Amino acid sequence: MIAEETLLNELKQLETQAKAFEVLVNTYKERLYWHIRRIVLNHDDTDDVLQNTFIKVYKNINGFKGDSKLYSWMYRIATNEALTFLKKKSNKLGISDSELQDKLVSNLQADVYFEGDEIQLKLQKAIATLPEKQKLVFNMKYYQEMKYEEISEILNTSVGGLKASYHLAVKKVESYLKAD
Amino acid sequence: MNKKNNKKDFNTPEGYFEGFSDRLLDRMSGSKNDPKGSLLPKSDGFSLPEGYFNSLNKKIQDKLNEDTPKIIALQRRRKFYYLAAAAVAAILLLTIGIRTNTSSDPTFEGLANSEIEDYFEYNDLGLSTYEIAEVIPVDELEISDIMDDAIEEENIIDYLNDSIENIEELNLTDYEY
Repeated sequence: MIAEETLLNELKQLETQAKAFEVLVNTYKERLYWHIRRIVLNHDDTDDVLQNTFIKVYKNINGFKGDSKLYSWMYRIATNEALTFLKKKSNKLGISDSELQDKLVSNLQADVYFEGDEIQLKLQKAIATLPEKQKLVFNMKYYQEMKYEEISEILNTSVGGLKASYHLAVKKVESYLKAD
Repeated sequence: MNKKNNKKDFNTPEGYFEGFSDRLLDRMSGSKNDPKGSLLPKSDGFSLPEGYFNSLNKKIQDKLNEDTPKIIALQRRRKFYYLAAAAVAAILLLTIGIRTNTSSDPTFEGLANSEIEDYFEYNDLGLSTYEIAEVIPVDELEISDIMDDAIEEENIIDYLNDSIENIEELNLTDYEY
Protein backbone atom coordinates (compact mmCIF):
# COMPACT_ATOMS: atom_id res chain seq x y z
CA MET A 1 0.00 0.00 0.00
CA ILE A 2 1.23 3.47 -0.88
CA ALA A 3 2.66 5.47 2.05
CA GLU A 4 0.24 8.05 3.44
CA GLU A 5 2.72 10.92 3.15
CA THR A 6 3.47 10.19 -0.51
CA LEU A 7 -0.23 9.91 -1.28
CA LEU A 8 -0.91 13.19 0.45
CA ASN A 9 1.79 14.99 -1.54
CA GLU A 10 0.43 13.57 -4.78
CA LEU A 11 -3.09 14.63 -3.85
CA LYS A 12 -1.93 18.20 -3.40
CA GLN A 13 -0.23 18.44 -6.79
CA LEU A 14 -2.33 19.14 -9.82
CA GLU A 15 -0.56 16.75 -12.20
CA THR A 16 -0.75 13.72 -9.85
CA GLN A 17 -4.03 14.58 -8.12
CA ALA A 18 -6.46 12.55 -10.25
CA LYS A 19 -4.48 9.31 -10.04
CA ALA A 20 -3.81 9.75 -6.31
CA PHE A 21 -7.49 10.41 -5.65
CA GLU A 22 -8.38 7.17 -7.38
CA VAL A 23 -5.89 5.34 -5.14
CA LEU A 24 -7.37 7.08 -2.09
CA VAL A 25 -10.93 6.07 -3.01
CA ASN A 26 -9.88 2.48 -3.71
CA THR A 27 -7.99 2.26 -0.42
CA TYR A 28 -10.70 3.61 1.85
CA LYS A 29 -14.04 3.07 0.09
CA GLU A 30 -14.94 -0.19 1.80
CA ARG A 31 -13.92 0.85 5.31
CA LEU A 32 -15.73 4.17 5.06
CA TYR A 33 -18.76 2.52 3.46
CA TRP A 34 -19.26 0.18 6.43
CA HIS A 35 -18.60 2.96 8.90
CA ILE A 36 -21.30 5.14 7.31
CA ARG A 37 -23.68 2.22 6.71
CA ARG A 38 -23.77 1.40 10.41
CA ILE A 39 -24.79 5.00 11.14
CA VAL A 40 -27.41 5.58 8.42
CA LEU A 41 -28.38 1.88 8.01
CA ASN A 42 -29.74 2.06 4.46
CA HIS A 43 -27.59 1.34 1.37
CA ASP A 44 -28.82 4.20 -0.85
CA ASP A 45 -28.31 6.79 1.88
CA THR A 46 -24.87 5.33 2.58
CA ASP A 47 -24.00 5.64 -1.10
CA ASP A 48 -24.95 9.35 -1.06
CA VAL A 49 -23.05 10.09 2.13
CA LEU A 50 -19.98 8.14 0.98
CA GLN A 51 -19.82 10.05 -2.31
CA ASN A 52 -20.24 13.37 -0.49
CA THR A 53 -17.49 12.36 1.93
CA PHE A 54 -14.99 11.71 -0.88
CA ILE A 55 -16.01 14.91 -2.66
CA LYS A 56 -15.44 16.88 0.54
CA VAL A 57 -12.06 15.18 0.99
CA TYR A 58 -11.10 16.06 -2.59
CA LYS A 59 -12.15 19.70 -2.24
CA ASN A 60 -10.51 20.23 1.14
CA ILE A 61 -7.33 18.22 0.74
CA ASN A 62 -5.21 21.37 0.38
CA GLY A 63 -6.50 22.56 3.74
CA PHE A 64 -5.48 19.30 5.44
CA LYS A 65 -2.54 20.23 7.64
CA GLY A 66 -1.48 16.73 8.63
CA ASP A 67 -2.18 17.28 12.36
CA SER A 68 -3.80 13.84 12.38
CA LYS A 69 -3.52 10.82 10.12
CA LEU A 70 -5.20 11.15 6.74
CA TYR A 71 -7.50 8.23 7.41
CA SER A 72 -8.59 9.68 10.81
CA TRP A 73 -9.42 12.95 9.06
CA MET A 74 -11.46 11.08 6.46
CA TYR A 75 -13.27 9.07 9.11
CA ARG A 76 -14.08 12.33 10.89
CA ILE A 77 -15.53 13.80 7.71
CA ALA A 78 -17.52 10.60 7.08
CA THR A 79 -18.87 10.63 10.65
CA ASN A 80 -19.89 14.30 10.45
CA GLU A 81 -21.46 13.82 7.01
CA ALA A 82 -23.46 10.82 8.22
CA LEU A 83 -24.67 12.54 11.40
CA THR A 84 -25.53 15.74 9.50
CA PHE A 85 -27.40 13.66 6.94
CA LEU A 86 -29.52 12.09 9.69
CA LYS A 87 -30.13 15.49 11.27
CA LYS A 88 -31.36 16.91 7.96
CA LYS A 89 -33.55 13.87 7.44
CA SER A 90 -35.23 14.20 10.85
CA ASN A 91 -35.73 17.96 10.29
CA LYS A 92 -37.27 17.30 6.89
CA LEU A 93 -39.65 14.69 8.31
CA GLY A 94 -40.39 16.85 11.35
CA ILE A 95 -39.52 14.08 13.81
CA SER A 96 -37.03 13.75 16.65
CA ASP A 97 -33.67 11.96 16.35
CA SER A 98 -34.89 8.97 18.33
CA GLU A 99 -38.09 8.71 16.28
CA LEU A 100 -35.92 8.71 13.15
CA GLN A 101 -33.75 5.91 14.60
CA ASP A 102 -36.87 3.81 15.24
CA LYS A 103 -38.07 4.48 11.72
CA LEU A 104 -34.72 3.53 10.16
CA VAL A 105 -34.62 0.26 12.07
CA SER A 106 -38.21 -0.66 11.23
CA ASN A 107 -37.47 0.05 7.54
CA LEU A 108 -34.77 -2.65 7.68
CA GLN A 109 -37.43 -5.36 7.65
CA ALA A 110 -38.36 -4.43 4.10
CA ASP A 111 -34.79 -3.59 3.00
CA VAL A 112 -33.50 -5.92 0.28
CA TYR A 113 -29.95 -5.22 1.43
CA PHE A 114 -30.56 -6.32 4.98
CA GLU A 115 -30.29 -10.07 5.31
CA GLY A 116 -30.25 -10.21 9.09
CA ASP A 117 -32.30 -12.67 11.09
CA GLU A 118 -34.48 -11.86 14.08
CA ILE A 119 -31.49 -11.55 16.45
CA GLN A 120 -29.65 -9.20 14.09
CA LEU A 121 -32.73 -7.03 13.72
CA LYS A 122 -33.08 -6.94 17.48
CA LEU A 123 -29.41 -5.97 17.70
CA GLN A 124 -30.10 -2.96 15.45
CA LYS A 125 -33.04 -2.01 17.67
CA ALA A 126 -30.77 -2.24 20.69
CA ILE A 127 -28.04 -0.12 19.06
CA ALA A 128 -30.68 2.48 18.13
CA THR A 129 -31.38 3.03 21.83
CA LEU A 130 -27.77 4.02 22.59
CA PRO A 131 -26.66 7.65 22.89
CA GLU A 132 -24.83 8.89 19.77
CA LYS A 133 -21.28 8.59 21.13
CA GLN A 134 -21.82 5.09 22.54
CA LYS A 135 -23.36 4.00 19.25
CA LEU A 136 -20.33 5.20 17.30
CA VAL A 137 -17.86 3.58 19.70
CA PHE A 138 -19.78 0.31 19.71
CA ASN A 139 -19.85 0.04 15.92
CA MET A 140 -16.22 1.09 15.50
CA LYS A 141 -14.94 -1.28 18.17
CA TYR A 142 -17.19 -4.31 17.80
CA TYR A 143 -17.77 -4.46 14.06
CA GLN A 144 -14.86 -2.56 12.60
CA GLU A 145 -12.45 -3.85 15.26
CA MET A 146 -10.64 -0.53 15.46
CA LYS A 147 -8.11 0.18 18.21
CA TYR A 148 -9.12 2.56 20.98
CA GLU A 149 -6.21 4.84 19.98
CA GLU A 150 -7.59 5.10 16.42
CA ILE A 151 -11.13 5.78 17.63
CA SER A 152 -9.75 8.33 20.06
CA GLU A 153 -8.13 10.29 17.23
CA ILE A 154 -11.30 10.21 15.13
CA LEU A 155 -13.81 11.10 17.84
CA ASN A 156 -11.46 13.36 19.78
CA THR A 157 -12.20 11.55 23.04
CA SER A 158 -9.81 10.08 25.61
CA VAL A 159 -9.03 6.36 25.44
CA GLY A 160 -10.31 5.95 29.03
CA GLY A 161 -13.60 7.60 28.11
CA LEU A 162 -13.94 5.34 25.05
CA LYS A 163 -13.33 2.18 27.06
CA ALA A 164 -16.01 3.19 29.54
CA SER A 165 -18.42 4.14 26.72
CA TYR A 166 -17.85 0.81 24.97
CA HIS A 167 -18.29 -1.17 28.17
CA LEU A 168 -21.56 0.65 28.93
CA ALA A 169 -22.77 0.23 25.34
CA VAL A 170 -22.16 -3.54 25.34
CA LYS A 171 -23.92 -3.95 28.68
CA LYS A 172 -26.95 -1.99 27.45
CA VAL A 173 -27.12 -3.91 24.16
CA GLU A 174 -26.78 -7.25 25.96
CA SER A 175 -29.48 -6.45 28.46
CA TYR A 176 -31.77 -5.33 25.59
CA LEU A 177 -31.13 -8.63 23.81
CA LYS A 178 -31.74 -10.62 27.00
CA ALA A 179 -35.02 -8.88 27.73
CA ASP A 180 -37.98 -10.19 25.85
CA MET B 1 12.59 -12.06 27.55
CA ASN B 2 10.20 -14.01 29.75
CA LYS B 3 9.54 -12.70 33.23
CA LYS B 4 10.50 -14.97 36.14
CA ASN B 5 8.91 -15.21 39.52
CA ASN B 6 11.72 -15.04 42.13
CA LYS B 7 10.33 -17.65 44.49
CA LYS B 8 8.96 -20.16 41.97
CA ASP B 9 10.23 -20.95 38.54
CA PHE B 10 7.04 -20.08 36.67
CA ASN B 11 7.16 -17.99 33.52
CA THR B 12 4.60 -15.86 31.77
CA PRO B 13 4.53 -15.10 28.04
CA GLU B 14 6.25 -11.90 27.03
CA GLY B 15 4.00 -8.86 27.33
CA TYR B 16 1.37 -10.84 29.25
CA PHE B 17 0.77 -8.25 31.97
CA GLU B 18 1.02 -5.24 29.62
CA GLY B 19 -2.07 -6.27 27.68
CA PHE B 20 -3.92 -7.89 30.58
CA SER B 21 -6.29 -5.06 31.50
CA ASP B 22 -7.35 -4.53 27.88
CA ARG B 23 -7.95 -8.25 27.40
CA LEU B 24 -9.96 -8.38 30.59
CA LEU B 25 -12.07 -5.40 29.57
CA ASP B 26 -12.65 -6.94 26.13
CA ARG B 27 -13.73 -10.17 27.80
CA MET B 28 -16.05 -8.32 30.15
CA SER B 29 -17.45 -6.34 27.25
CA GLY B 30 -17.92 -9.43 25.13
CA SER B 31 -15.38 -9.37 22.36
CA LYS B 32 -16.56 -10.68 19.01
CA ASN B 33 -13.58 -13.04 18.85
CA ASP B 34 -14.20 -14.53 22.26
CA PRO B 35 -16.27 -17.71 21.81
CA LYS B 36 -17.36 -17.64 25.46
CA GLY B 37 -17.96 -13.95 25.07
CA SER B 38 -21.36 -12.53 24.54
CA LEU B 39 -24.88 -12.73 23.29
CA LEU B 40 -24.09 -10.41 20.42
CA PRO B 41 -24.22 -11.84 16.90
CA LYS B 42 -20.91 -11.81 15.02
CA SER B 43 -22.25 -10.15 11.89
CA ASP B 44 -24.88 -7.47 11.56
CA GLY B 45 -26.74 -8.75 8.50
CA PHE B 46 -26.10 -5.82 6.15
CA SER B 47 -25.42 -6.53 2.48
CA LEU B 48 -24.97 -4.37 -0.62
CA PRO B 49 -25.55 -4.60 -4.38
CA GLU B 50 -23.09 -6.77 -6.29
CA GLY B 51 -20.28 -4.83 -7.94
CA TYR B 52 -21.13 -1.66 -6.01
CA PHE B 53 -17.53 -0.82 -5.14
CA ASN B 54 -16.36 -1.29 -8.76
CA SER B 55 -18.63 1.48 -9.99
CA LEU B 56 -18.05 3.86 -7.09
CA ASN B 57 -14.99 5.62 -8.55
CA LYS B 58 -16.85 6.56 -11.69
CA LYS B 59 -19.87 7.83 -9.75
CA ILE B 60 -17.68 10.08 -7.60
CA GLN B 61 -15.80 11.34 -10.66
CA ASP B 62 -19.12 12.15 -12.42
CA LYS B 63 -20.36 14.01 -9.35
CA LEU B 64 -17.13 15.99 -9.13
CA ASN B 65 -17.48 16.98 -12.80
CA GLU B 66 -21.13 17.98 -12.21
CA ASP B 67 -20.04 20.25 -9.38
CA THR B 68 -17.65 22.19 -11.61
CA PRO B 69 -19.70 25.09 -13.03
CA LYS B 70 -19.72 25.29 -16.82
CA ILE B 71 -19.38 28.68 -18.51
CA ILE B 72 -21.96 29.06 -21.26
CA ALA B 73 -21.59 32.03 -23.59
CA LEU B 74 -24.83 33.92 -24.12
CA GLN B 75 -25.83 34.46 -27.70
CA ARG B 76 -25.84 38.09 -28.75
CA ARG B 77 -29.53 38.32 -29.55
CA ARG B 78 -30.52 36.53 -26.37
CA LYS B 79 -28.24 38.89 -24.45
CA PHE B 80 -30.12 41.84 -25.98
CA TYR B 81 -33.48 40.43 -24.82
CA TYR B 82 -32.12 39.85 -21.32
CA LEU B 83 -30.85 43.44 -21.16
CA ALA B 84 -34.16 44.81 -22.46
CA ALA B 85 -36.13 42.75 -19.92
CA ALA B 86 -33.82 43.90 -17.12
CA ALA B 87 -34.27 47.56 -18.14
CA VAL B 88 -38.10 47.26 -18.17
CA ALA B 89 -38.03 45.52 -14.79
CA ALA B 90 -35.80 48.27 -13.36
CA ILE B 91 -38.14 51.04 -14.59
CA LEU B 92 -41.22 49.26 -13.17
CA LEU B 93 -39.46 48.70 -9.86
CA LEU B 94 -38.46 52.35 -9.59
CA THR B 95 -41.98 53.59 -10.46
CA ILE B 96 -43.63 51.29 -7.93
CA GLY B 97 -40.90 52.02 -5.39
CA ILE B 98 -41.42 55.81 -5.60
CA ARG B 99 -45.20 55.49 -5.21
CA THR B 100 -45.08 53.14 -2.27
CA ASN B 101 -42.10 54.59 -0.51
CA THR B 102 -44.18 55.64 2.44
CA SER B 103 -43.49 52.55 4.56
CA SER B 104 -40.19 52.33 6.42
CA ASP B 105 -37.54 49.69 5.69
CA PRO B 106 -37.80 46.46 7.69
CA THR B 107 -35.40 46.32 10.60
CA PHE B 108 -34.01 43.43 12.61
CA GLU B 109 -35.68 44.84 15.74
CA GLY B 110 -39.02 44.77 13.93
CA LEU B 111 -38.92 41.00 13.55
CA ALA B 112 -40.86 39.06 16.12
CA ASN B 113 -38.78 36.55 18.05
CA SER B 114 -41.15 33.82 16.97
CA GLU B 115 -40.41 34.59 13.30
CA ILE B 116 -36.68 34.25 13.92
CA GLU B 117 -37.20 31.01 15.83
CA ASP B 118 -39.44 29.68 13.05
CA TYR B 119 -36.78 30.50 10.49
CA PHE B 120 -34.14 28.47 12.31
CA GLU B 121 -36.63 25.70 13.06
CA TYR B 122 -37.99 25.19 9.55
CA ASN B 123 -35.11 26.17 7.29
CA ASP B 124 -32.36 23.72 6.71
CA LEU B 125 -29.26 25.82 7.21
CA GLY B 126 -26.99 22.96 6.26
CA LEU B 127 -24.87 23.44 9.38
CA SER B 128 -23.75 20.51 11.48
CA THR B 129 -23.47 20.87 15.25
CA TYR B 130 -19.70 20.85 14.77
CA GLU B 131 -19.90 23.80 12.38
CA ILE B 132 -22.19 25.71 14.72
CA ALA B 133 -19.84 25.01 17.61
CA GLU B 134 -16.99 26.49 15.60
CA VAL B 135 -18.68 29.88 15.22
CA ILE B 136 -20.37 30.19 18.61
CA PRO B 137 -17.95 31.21 21.36
CA VAL B 138 -19.02 28.55 23.86
CA ASP B 139 -16.50 29.74 26.45
CA GLU B 140 -18.21 33.12 26.61
CA LEU B 141 -21.71 31.71 26.96
CA GLU B 142 -23.56 31.26 30.23
CA ILE B 143 -26.45 28.83 30.60
CA SER B 144 -28.62 31.84 31.46
CA ASP B 145 -28.02 33.22 27.92
CA ILE B 146 -29.95 30.27 26.52
CA MET B 147 -32.47 29.43 29.22
CA ASP B 148 -34.76 31.81 31.06
CA ASP B 149 -35.13 29.65 34.15
CA ALA B 150 -32.06 28.45 35.97
CA ILE B 151 -31.77 24.69 36.41
CA GLU B 152 -31.65 23.62 40.03
CA GLU B 153 -28.89 21.18 40.96
CA GLU B 154 -31.60 18.89 42.29
CA ASN B 155 -33.19 18.70 38.82
CA ILE B 156 -29.87 17.75 37.25
CA ILE B 157 -29.40 14.94 39.76
CA ASP B 158 -32.99 13.76 39.12
CA TYR B 159 -32.33 13.77 35.36
CA LEU B 160 -29.11 11.77 35.76
CA ASN B 161 -30.88 9.32 38.08
CA ASP B 162 -33.65 8.78 35.55
CA SER B 163 -31.48 8.46 32.45
CA ILE B 164 -28.37 6.66 33.67
CA GLU B 165 -28.47 3.17 35.09
CA ASN B 166 -25.47 3.37 37.36
CA ILE B 167 -24.37 6.87 38.20
CA GLU B 168 -21.17 5.62 39.90
CA GLU B 169 -19.95 4.33 36.56
CA LEU B 170 -19.83 7.91 35.37
CA ASN B 171 -16.50 8.98 36.74
CA LEU B 172 -17.13 12.42 35.34
CA THR B 173 -13.80 13.93 36.29
CA ASP B 174 -11.85 11.30 34.34
CA TYR B 175 -14.06 10.39 31.45
CA GLU B 176 -15.80 12.21 28.68
CA TYR B 177 -19.02 10.90 27.22
